Amino acid sequence: MTWHEKYLERYKKLKSEGKPFFPYAVFKDTLVALLIFGVLCGLAYYFGAEIEDPADPTDSNYNPRPEWYFLFLFQALKLFPGNLESIAAIVLPGAAVAFLFLLPFIDRGPERHIFDRPFLTFLGLGTLAGIGYLTYQGAVSPLTNPIIEKDPVAFAGQRLYSSLNCAYCHKIGGRGGTIGPELDKGAGDESEEWLEKHFRDPQLTSPGSAMPKLNLLEDEIQSLVAYIKSLSSGGGFTEEAPKLFQENCAACHKLGQEGSEVGPDLSLIGTARDKNYIRKYVEDPSKINPSSSMPGYKGQLTDLQIEDLSRYLAAQKGN
Amino acid sequence: MNSFWEWMKTRLGIEELWNALFARHVPEAKGWTAWLYTLGSASLFVFTVQAITGALLAMNYVPSPDHAYDSIRFINEQVLLGRFLRGLHHWGATAMVILVSLHMLRVYFMGSYKYPREATWIVGVLIFLVVMGFSFTGYLLPWDQKAYWATMVGVNISAQVPVIGEYIGKVLKGGDEMGAVTLTRFYAIQVLVLPAIILGALAIHLFLVVWHGISESPTRKEDDQNKNAGTGILQ
Repeated sequence: MTWHEKYLERYKKLKSEGKPFFPYAVFKDTLVALLIFGVLCGLAYYFGAEIEDPADPTDSNYNPRPEWYFLFLFQALKLFPGNLESIAAIVLPGAAVAFLFLLPFIDRGPERHIFDRPFLTFLGLGTLAGIGYLTYQGAVSPLTNPIIEKDPVAFAGQRLYSSLNCAYCHKIGGRGGTIGPELDKGAGDESEEWLEKHFRDPQLTSPGSAMPKLNLLEDEIQSLVAYIKSLSSGGGFTEEAPKLFQENCAACHKLGQEGSEVGPDLSLIGTARDKNYIRKYVEDPSKINPSSSMPGYKGQLTDLQIEDLSRYLAAQKGN
Repeated sequence: MNSFWEWMKTRLGIEELWNALFARHVPEAKGWTAWLYTLGSASLFVFTVQAITGALLAMNYVPSPDHAYDSIRFINEQVLLGRFLRGLHHWGATAMVILVSLHMLRVYFMGSYKYPREATWIVGVLIFLVVMGFSFTGYLLPWDQKAYWATMVGVNISAQVPVIGEYIGKVLKGGDEMGAVTLTRFYAIQVLVLPAIILGALAIHLFLVVWHGISESPTRKEDDQNKNAGTGILQ
């Protein structure tokens, strides 16, 4: 007799010795359902459901807060920077779901008690502990997402750049053609007016240029301008900015060789954060990073000074 | 009254139904673990709460970027018990994720997915994924800052799937940009597609639960061997 047949026989016996579903199980089910309904009503009455400001697709400063049960996934994304991000975003969750679907075919023996299946018990507890740890980390650390930190208008420009096949002639980050100029070397330092005019008709700004007139829509031009500006090597700050840093930031932060190491070294901050993000952080760090001990500078410095300082910091790319 | 029951019995088969669903015997679970067996029915209960509150909310909600936000505020401020209703649906969604996860953990750690209940488990995993889908598509509907940007991140994540990712992103968004089409798409998925899938899956899941019978409490291997086959029962 196989264990399958033995099991069915044993289960039949257990069932006949068992209790009728009503009221034995129905009683417990009803009690739990009522309890849950009471809790839900309490939460709905006292907390309701929040609603924030209306969606603003142009607000690049907004940091999305996922529902708490997705926090661990967000936190996991941070462990796999750059190209490896798809491991946390796709490979691991995909493998987990595949594992769940296949579980009854992986673990086929008759053992059901947790102590008789030590490997699966540890795997389950380990996964739970990992998710718990990541959720905790996600709750206390700043909720920024690398995918979203860029200005969406610039993002749209980046997509336009690839759909217009600009890379046939231009290079960005060392990739692309050599017919036109490399765009991450200086193009971003042109003024917005110049770029706008240039995209409207290249002949207006660069007579004799081989670049075709693209007949773009107004918002397409804005997107491309924003994208090219985002490639800027920095600049736009005044001579006062380094002094502002010395007076307000250097007591805790390092920049190049100078400054103290109480807070994070900011020498490469421009490679990780854009100006808008930095400005928001300088204004009030607790909004982005609740566990930060850095004071907010809104009110301490004028808005112009904070803008200047943020531009200066966004230009710190180690070059 | 008697003739009423007679009619119900002969026309609707109510007696057979009662015998099959409620008079059936279930193995008695050990001690407090009996309460863990309520997680499945609790999930089903919260699902009905979500279905009812969802239907009521849909009566006042408009799935377009121009009106979605205002219709939510209308529900919050003008509709009778609207704020409470939204609250129930919002917290119900959280409860659903928690309860379905706990139910899954109960089955995982008790090994209840084993012979002969493999198919019940597989359909259960599908239901779990649909619940996550409900949670993801429902998040966008209020069309506030949080909804928009969290969904943007979610869509960008799915766009990272190798090769087909770009198309998944486009299908979800209904184009290159997140906008009106994205909202109507998410709304249709939330109120038409996912309910159809989950109702079918639930019917199969529940049929299998009744047909195979509720799994008994796990026992240690030695206990089974020490006793003759067929008598390894609860202590």
